Amino acid sequence: MLTKLEIRETRETPYILLDKEKNIFKIEGNSLPENANHFFLPIFKWLDKYSLSPNKETHLICDLEYFNSSSAKLIYEIFLKLEKIKTNETKVWISWFFESGDVLIEEKGLEYKSILYIPMEIVEK
Amino acid sequence: MNIDTTFWFFDRISEDNLCLLYNGNFSDEITNKVIELSEYNIRNNVSLSKLKKKTSFLMAECFQNIVRHGETENKDGHINQGFFLTKNWQGVYYITSGNLVENKKIDELKQQLEKVNSLSKEELKQLYRNVLANQEISEKGGAGLGLIEMARKSGQKISYHFKDFNSKFSFFYNQIVLLANEIDFPKSSCSFELSEAIAYHEKMSAHNIWVIHKGDFSQESIFPVLKIIEENLQKEKKDAGYKKKMYHILVELLQNISRHCYIAEEKKEGIFMIGEQKGYFVINTGNLIENSNIPTLEKQLNQINSLNKKELKALYLEKLRERSTPLKEGAGIGLIDIARRIISPINYSILRINDTKSFLTINVIA
Repeated sequence: MLTKLEIRETRETPYILLDKEKNIFKIEGNSLPENANHFFLPIFKWLDKYSLSPNKETHLICDLEYFNSSSAKLIYEIFLKLEKIKTNETKVWISWFFESGDVLIEEKGLEYKSILYIPMEIVEK
Repeated sequence: MNIDTTFWFFDRISEDNLCLLYNGNFSDEITNKVIELSEYNIRNNVSLSKLKKKTSFLMAECFQNIVRHGETENKDGHINQGFFLTKNWQGVYYITSGNLVENKKIDELKQQLEKVNSLSKEELKQLYRNVLANQEISEKGGAGLGLIEMARKSGQKISYHFKDFNSKFSFFYNQIVLLANEIDFPKSSCSFELSEAIAYHEKMSAHNIWVIHKGDFSQESIFPVLKIIEENLQKEKKDAGYKKKMYHILVELLQNISRHCYIAEEKKEGIFMIGEQKGYFVINTGNLIENSNIPTLEKQLNQINSLNKKELKALYLEKLRERSTPLKEGAGIGLIDIARRIISPINYSILRINDTKSFLTINVIA
């Protein structure tokens, strides 16, 4: 079984939980590292392994308070990796949360939704 | 605050290792972050490390003076309006603060200052003990102990100046200096005059500038700056969406300096200022860039400025989808996203300094 990936939240990087066994996939908090590549690399590696034998259902929770533009590209990369998992047998979808009144995060979610081929629900908290 | 204001300041403080100017409301949250930011800068400067404890202490003392004694002018709703400057220049650390005092209290304050300035180290120690033991704490607390402590810790005389504000109040400025190496340092070289600090404050007030920070723009120093500004936004009572937008613009601009500036002595130096203009916020950043990077940057900025909001969104999404291995960060995506959220184009100016570098200023209004 693929071991879970859990990364503690810092003031500049988000909380990550990718747990195949419990079927929980989460990204929460802030993401504004200067070198975002470095932070996201283990997540991409994990998802690549996961894509070899994904669960029947993969539901990613995105509950981000803030992320900078270089994280934006890498968050999109996560979504692209999820898109690749989706087949006729597997269900993949994303929930994008935003705080009421937080136009920036809501808009960012809607933008992702407009360019993704997997379902994304935009949820006001 | 126009685009030239940035260079006006940069030109005057470009030799400083650190310069932080603050003109606005003082709360504990803000003062803590100002201290944190200064500590960060001191930590990164070996010659100053000895001063770290002293400077933090003295800054806290100045802030307490502003918060405790600074009189309130309620008409325009400002609370504890004050001015604060901390700069490190040629091995000398300067701490300047300013706050309003009632005109009728000036004489007493002058007497206290003159007395403190006339005493030797030993006499100051004695006075401190006497005041502590005998004098009742005034209703606002303090009892002049602050001034005595400032003089003791700095070991130098306190410079001060009173400037007319109106019939009831004056601005009380004071400046203390800390020397990294007292033995080597001839006192005559401490030539950053209080009058210069006052000129900065006047310029800041005239242009409605809250914060100016010149120093290292590495990631770690961004957080205290963000916090200081968040606190100020809080007071402006703008809605959550607006605050988040401002936060985003700030992060992108600060990280932009960090990513693209000319690196001198391993430091990512730049200047950042934020102020208000007709109900909008104005942010200026300035940093040195290598001349060889100018053509690409100009092309990028001109392209961004030629697009309307809809076209900018399309370009943003295009850049977002652009893939490369390894994934390249940035590629102007930050600037595009800023342009989408401001009310006018990204103003910029490039001033040639010499054959290798130029000074780039960016000015945005949101």
